[in-house]
Amino acid sequence: MIPFTQYLEGLAKDGALCRVEDPSDVPTDAVAAEALRASGPALRFDRPDGVDLASGTFSGPDQMQRRDAQPWSRLSLGLGLGPDASLVDLLDTIVGLGPAEDGQNPTYTRQVASQTDADVLDLNFPRGVDDTWATFTLGIASVSTTRGTHWVPIHGSIVSADKLRVRVPTALSTLLPDDATISIALGVPPAAITAAYLLAGTGRTETPIQSCGVADAVPLVPTNGGLVPSATEVVVEATVADRTPDFRSDRREAWEHVAESTPLALAVERVVATDDPVIPFTPVGRPLADDLRLTGLTTAAMLYHRVNDYWGISPVEWILLPAAAELGICFVASDILYAGFEWQLANILFSFSSLFDTVIIVDDDVPPHDIGRVLGDIWVKAHPSRDWVFSEPDAPAATRPRYRQGGETGSRLYVNAAWDPRWEDSYIAPQVTFEESFPPAIRDVARAIWNERTD
Amino acid sequence: MTVDSFRDYLDLLNDGGESVSFEESVSWDLEASAITTLANLQDGPIPVFESVSESATDAALVGDPYRGPRDEPWDHLARSFDLGVSLSGRGYYEEVIERLQTPREPRVVDRSDAPCKASIQTGTDIDLLSFPWPYIHQGDGGRYSNLHTVVAPDPDTEWGRWSRHRMMIHDDATASLLLLAGEQLPNRYYYEYEPREEPMPVAAVVGAEPAVECCADMWIPTGRSEATFAGGLTDTPVDLVQCETNELYVPATAEVVIEGRVLPADRLDEGPFGDYFGYMNGPRRSMPTFQVDAITHRAEPYVPFCVEGTGVGYGQNSTGTLQAVAAGPDATLGLRAAGFDVELAVPWQFTSRTVWVIATERPYPGYLHELANFVFTTWGMLHIDFFVFVDPAVDPLDPREVLAAIALDADPDTDFHQFGVERMPKVPLNIYQTPDEKGSADVGTSKAKTAKAYIDATTEGSPASQPLDEEMRKRAQDVLVDAGLPADQFDRFDDTEGVGR
Repeated sequence: MIPFTQYLEGLAKDGALCRVEDPSDVPTDAVAAEALRASGPALRFDRPDGVDLASGTFSGPDQMQRRDAQPWSRLSLGLGLGPDASLVDLLDTIVGLGPAEDGQNPTYTRQVASQTDADVLDLNFPRGVDDTWATFTLGIASVSTTRGTHWVPIHGSIVSADKLRVRVPTALSTLLPDDATISIALGVPPAAITAAYLLAGTGRTETPIQSCGVADAVPLVPTNGGLVPSATEVVVEATVADRTPDFRSDRREAWEHVAESTPLALAVERVVATDDPVIPFTPVGRPLADDLRLTGLTTAAMLYHRVNDYWGISPVEWILLPAAAELGICFVASDILYAGFEWQLANILFSFSSLFDTVIIVDDDVPPHDIGRVLGDIWVKAHPSRDWVFSEPDAPAATRPRYRQGGETGSRLYVNAAWDPRWEDSYIAPQVTFEESFPPAIRDVARAIWNERTD
Repeated sequence: MTVDSFRDYLDLLNDGGESVSFEESVSWDLEASAITTLANLQDGPIPVFESVSESATDAALVGDPYRGPRDEPWDHLARSFDLGVSLSGRGYYEEVIERLQTPREPRVVDRSDAPCKASIQTGTDIDLLSFPWPYIHQGDGGRYSNLHTVVAPDPDTEWGRWSRHRMMIHDDATASLLLLAGEQLPNRYYYEYEPREEPMPVAAVVGAEPAVECCADMWIPTGRSEATFAGGLTDTPVDLVQCETNELYVPATAEVVIEGRVLPADRLDEGPFGDYFGYMNGPRRSMPTFQVDAITHRAEPYVPFCVEGTGVGYGQNSTGTLQAVAAGPDATLGLRAAGFDVELAVPWQFTSRTVWVIATERPYPGYLHELANFVFTTWGMLHIDFFVFVDPAVDPLDPREVLAAIALDADPDTDFHQFGVERMPKVPLNIYQTPDEKGSADVGTSKAKTAKAYIDATTEGSPASQPLDEEMRKRAQDVLVDAGLPADQFDRFDDTEGVGR
């Protein structure tokens, strides 16, 4: 388990985090958005008052250019895999944080945060460009039921020293009695926030974390709401004050595209913080934002796991919902087992997720870090008459796109940019690559000459 | 000061540390192209191979000289046209468009003043194989010249018609030219000269000045001349000189000029070849025979070539860059001139000759259909299969913005048009048709037809998420630069008024 502060140190050591002085005249979410837009590093805002902030910690560069780092490199580091981990290793690890069949053995330790004399205003949460109130994002709500502790993502606004307005998955709200206490954990280990996103996105909110892999990975501590990671930077304990507050904010984190959400008004009971707290935040609604990445990766993990369990074999190499496509397109690389398998594959993905209604299928030899090839092959390998396949127009609308938000039905689309398994081998055009286009001896000579002059 | 020869362009690259010379002997047989492939993959300097083994002419090879830097592919050519440095993509497009709106007639120079006449081969002296034409990919049908401008007669302009057609070398005096019916120059051969059983005079100009190569990649309307647009592009007349064996005019500063005729009813093998799709396209086909009548060249000529196929996906090469920085501004200007309310027309950087992105207003119902079909029936007929239309606020030079627009705003139910309608011609170089479907190469197009489709990723004018205002973004970027992030990573909004990179 990697605490959030240790994670930031790891990012800094890898050159993936830049420290920024708290800007006085620019909202931090604007700065964070520009760093993401430029595929820049994660940021840590050193602030003289209140909590320090970190952005981009769960995001990464886009894949519009070949880059050394991948969009999932940072989260891989946070989950203990190392920044060079493959996408599939990460997806497997994410799935492992969710519901588990084997009994879990949670570890309980003391709470790292110990300062109890602050209130939420003292923490000086940031106020974004479009916000009326100071806000927090990338939090975990922890509540207890008779089954155990439940974790979900939470975000909200600081209305006053003792009043919050938040959004949580509707599924959590239904678990809560009227006088329930919620603990909001901010600055949790990456494994914990990832698990919360996974549980909300897969409709498993009712599964207590004591039955999830995350309980094995993250030491826990009890609070008035429920268990939280012991290494949490800030814990806000609150009670539900109003289930139908007048909360008009249209701010939505990306998990709300996969899980229905509801507002709550909370009354703050207690705030516990570390000596020098640092918490993550995401510039909600901006390109490549952290919440977008977390939703994309947890959804991809769920799909990869379910699809490869579906046919008794594992033909799918990887699945990706690029944040660059705002989660509105699903890319999948697969062995096309037989003619028509691509239709099955696309439609099983549509069945398992309502996030998107466009699926791009590529051959299993396309690596997930080479999205540039995907963005070429869809136009070059897929026949515009035969391989852009539209469903009959009675499919439900996906949740992520901006069209048909009134619930109208319409067509779905899959693009088959994989070779047709019925084709003779001689029809398959060899790719132009350094490896394919030159024999080994030439490659060796070329590398030697080039490296000697340019290294 | 604009660049008026290929050599000056190489000097410009050298002065900027953007090229690297190899003095050691390098073979034209895959070695030069393999090294160039590495340069293209790594966004490295442009390789200049000063010593090529087994070459009877003291010629050098230059690998993908027009490939631009990955972040700003227009940078090298912008400097060669004296448009300035650190231009934004939009800024570059607008400056080129402004230049193209003022064409300049070329200037004819005397043969004695033309550097390309330093050495002249005619008759039995002609030795095409004395030049180090590269064998570019294993599996290619032969050695190729593929980064040259072909000049052919045009009844509407004395300066002739310029375009690019790859050429496979066969022997000392013959080659096959890839002429695909549907394009202007091939149409003149297939539908005028050949039916009259008349050879068509042509000249292949190798190593012309950058403006010439750029204009050969543009779709210049009939009745207008690429030569005058090349003059406009550099704001200086292009120097032309008459050929030795025909009446065509060619750029006087060219490195090599191959004069000859495309023979009627005569074919030679052509291909396969790893072309711009990023895949080897085959099978071997028959293409018109180019009979060489003369070769003129500068002393110690530089022969540019393109490793086709490396300009797709993340890669860049000369073809990809020329599409983005020459064909793009030209298309934008052409569409505006045709009355379309286009902000920018830009080739998709991952496969530049197959799909284009057009940021445009949508002033009336049916406008996008008219716009798409205008292009499909003119300059986009053979190569372009797809258009993606986006709002004017979306930057077509930013593929992330375009991808997001497709994902969020293109409804599969209503916004994907003409998919599945197999009525349009297509180059047989494509890889999605079977060899049987592509058929014979009698007139250079596919036997089978294909679909040409467009995607409407525009909105009703009210995108759900509003971008930050530019002043706020600039201040945010300043904070990041002050924190030590590289300034060139950001738009900064300070190079062209209100226009970010």
